[in-house]
Amino acid sequence: MRGYDVEAAFAAPQGSWTPVSPRLATARRSLLLIAIVPLAIGGVVLGFVGLATVWIVLYAVVALAVLVWAWWIIGRRVGSFGYAERADDLLVVSGILVRRLVIVPYGRMQLVDLRAGPIDRSLGITTVQLHTAAATTDATIPGLLPDEAAALRDRLAARGEERSAGL
Amino acid sequence: MSDFVPSDDSGAPAGPTAPLDRPQRTAPLTPLLQGAPAIPFFVIFAIGPAGSLVGDRGLPVVVVGVLGALLGYVIATAFAWITWLKRTYYFDAEGDLRVDSGVLQRSSRRLQLSRLQSVDVVAPFLPRLAGLVEVRVEVAGAGDSRVVLRYVTVAEGDRVRREILAKSTEATGPQQEESPPNFLAGVPSGRLLAGLLLRSVTVVLLASSVFFIAITVLTQGPVGLVFAVATGGLPILIVVGEFFRYHGFTVARSVEGLRLTFGLLSTQRRTVPADRVHAVALVAPLLWRRRDWVRVQLTIAGLGTESAKAGRDVLLPIAPRDEALRVVAEVLPGVDLDALPWVSAPARSRWRSPIQWRFLAYAVTGQVVAARTGRITRRIQVAPHARVQSVRVSQGPWERRLDLASVHADLAPGPVEVIAHHIDLAAARPLADHEADLARDARVRDHPT
Repeated sequence: MRGYDVEAAFAAPQGSWTPVSPRLATARRSLLLIAIVPLAIGGVVLGFVGLATVWIVLYAVVALAVLVWAWWIIGRRVGSFGYAERADDLLVVSGILVRRLVIVPYGRMQLVDLRAGPIDRSLGITTVQLHTAAATTDATIPGLLPDEAAALRDRLAARGEERSAGL
Repeated sequence: MSDFVPSDDSGAPAGPTAPLDRPQRTAPLTPLLQGAPAIPFFVIFAIGPAGSLVGDRGLPVVVVGVLGALLGYVIATAFAWITWLKRTYYFDAEGDLRVDSGVLQRSSRRLQLSRLQSVDVVAPFLPRLAGLVEVRVEVAGAGDSRVVLRYVTVAEGDRVRREILAKSTEATGPQQEESPPNFLAGVPSGRLLAGLLLRSVTVVLLASSVFFIAITVLTQGPVGLVFAVATGGLPILIVVGEFFRYHGFTVARSVEGLRLTFGLLSTQRRTVPADRVHAVALVAPLLWRRRDWVRVQLTIAGLGTESAKAGRDVLLPIAPRDEALRVVAEVLPGVDLDALPWVSAPARSRWRSPIQWRFLAYAVTGQVVAARTGRITRRIQVAPHARVQSVRVSQGPWERRLDLASVHADLAPGPVEVIAHHIDLAAARPLADHEADLARDARVRDHPT
C-alpha cells in the first residue's frame, strides 16, 4: 500500500535540512522542569496528608513516566525543525505527529521577526518568524544561534527587497 | 418627531456650493438625528428608577415616559450639537481629506487619498427620511484608517464622493471620466426571500422557533406566548434583518470597480476595486442546489476578517450560477470556474472525511489555484497565483495512515481559504513546489519592475 515515502514528501530540496540548535531542547526541558515543580509539591503534600504508601509510589511512578515521555518528545520535536533556503523561497519543516512544511517565496515576505525570551537569552538562542500578508503562514524557526538568526534575517530581508512587489 | 425644527435649514457654511477647500460643518439637522437613539434609554430610566420617585405623586406612567423621552432627547441633542459645531471637514492643499473634531480635546485627521481604499455613501433609515446620507471614507493602512462624515445632504455627499475619487486618481494616475455604471446583476426580492428561507441554518432556526413557541404555550398556557415570541422570534428577526440588508441588491460595472448597491431601510453603495480582490468563493447550501443558486464571497486586501461580520465579504447574496459566474469573471478575468481541471481526492480519503470526501478536489490552471470542499454546503474557492502568499503541506496522523496529505495556499485574511484536503501523498509535495513556483512567477509577470 505504501507506494510513496512520507520522508520524500517532507524532504529537503537539496542535501539536508539545516537543523536548529540542540539548546532549544535544553530551553524547553527547563520549562518542563519548572512546570513539574507543582507536581512534586503535590507529591510531598500527599505524603504529609498520610496517604497509603502504595498511592504515593504510584503517583511518583506516573509523574516520572510523564516527565520521561515529555523529555523524549521534546528531543524529537526539536529534532524535527529544519529550514532550507532555495534560490527563490524559504522552506521550513516541523512536527512529528502532525507534520508541516511551508514554502514562502521571498517576494511575499512582509517582515522578519527575531524574538528571544529570558530562558532563550540565557541559553543564547533566538526565534526567527516570517510574516506574509496571510495570517495563516506558519513559518517560525525557533532555536537559532543569535548570529545565525541575525544573518538569516539579513539574507531574507535582502532577498525580499530584491523580489518584493508589494501586496 | 420633535417640536423644534431648525429655521436655518440651508445651513450657512455647508451649502452644496461652498468651496471644498474651506472647513465646513456637516448638515445642521445632524444633532437632531443623532439625539434620537438616546430616547429609549431615557424612557426606560424615566419609568424605571426615576419613575418610582415621581410616581408617588400620582403621575401616570405614560406621562413620565413621554417627559423622560423629551428630556433625554433634548440633552442628547444638545451634546450632539456641541460636537457638531466643532466638527469640520475640508480638502487641504495637498489634496488630502481633513476632518477636525473634538470639543475638549481637538483632533485633526488627515486621510491620504492616494491610498484610498473605498468611498461609500450610506443612507440609514432616519437620516434618509430627512434627505441626508453619511459618507464613509477608508484608506489603506493599519489601525483605524476610516472616517465617517455624518450626515450631509444627498447632493453634498455625492459631491464629496466625486471629489475624493477625483483627488485619489489625480494622486495615483491619469484622470478618468466617471461613466454611468453598467448593470451586471440584480437580486429580485422573491429570490432573496426564498434563498434566505431555504438556507439550512434558517430551516433549523425556524423549526426551533416553532418548537420553542409550541413548548412554551403548552407548558405555560397562552400567557407564555409573550415570552415565546421573544425567544422563538429571534430566528425570524435574523431572516428579516438579512432580507432588509440585502434587499434590492444590484451589481454594476464602473471605472473604479464593481459598484454594489443594496439595503431596504438603509441603502449602501459600495465599490469593490477589482485589483484588490484576493480570492473568490462560490457557496451553494444544500437547499439551493435544486435551483442552482449560489452566493459569491470575496477576500479583499486590507479589509481583514472583521469585515465579514459587516457583510462586506458579499459580492452577490443569491444568484443563479451562470449570473454569478458572469460577475466573478469581472473580478477574475479569463477564469472559467466551470472548466477547471479538477483532481479528486482518492477514494481512501473517505476514512478521513466520510461525509465530504466525494466532493473534495483541487485544480491548478495557469492563472488560479482552486479547491472544492463540503457536502451539505458546497464551496468552490479560487485564488489567482499572484495572490498566494505561501504554500504549506500538512499531514496529520490519520492522513499518514492513509498515505494522504493536505496542501494549503495561504491567502490574505478573509472568508476564502484554498486547501486541497487529503490528496495523494505522492502528489502533495510536487503540487506544493509547483504552486510556489507559479505564485512567484505570477508576481513577476504582474509587476515587471
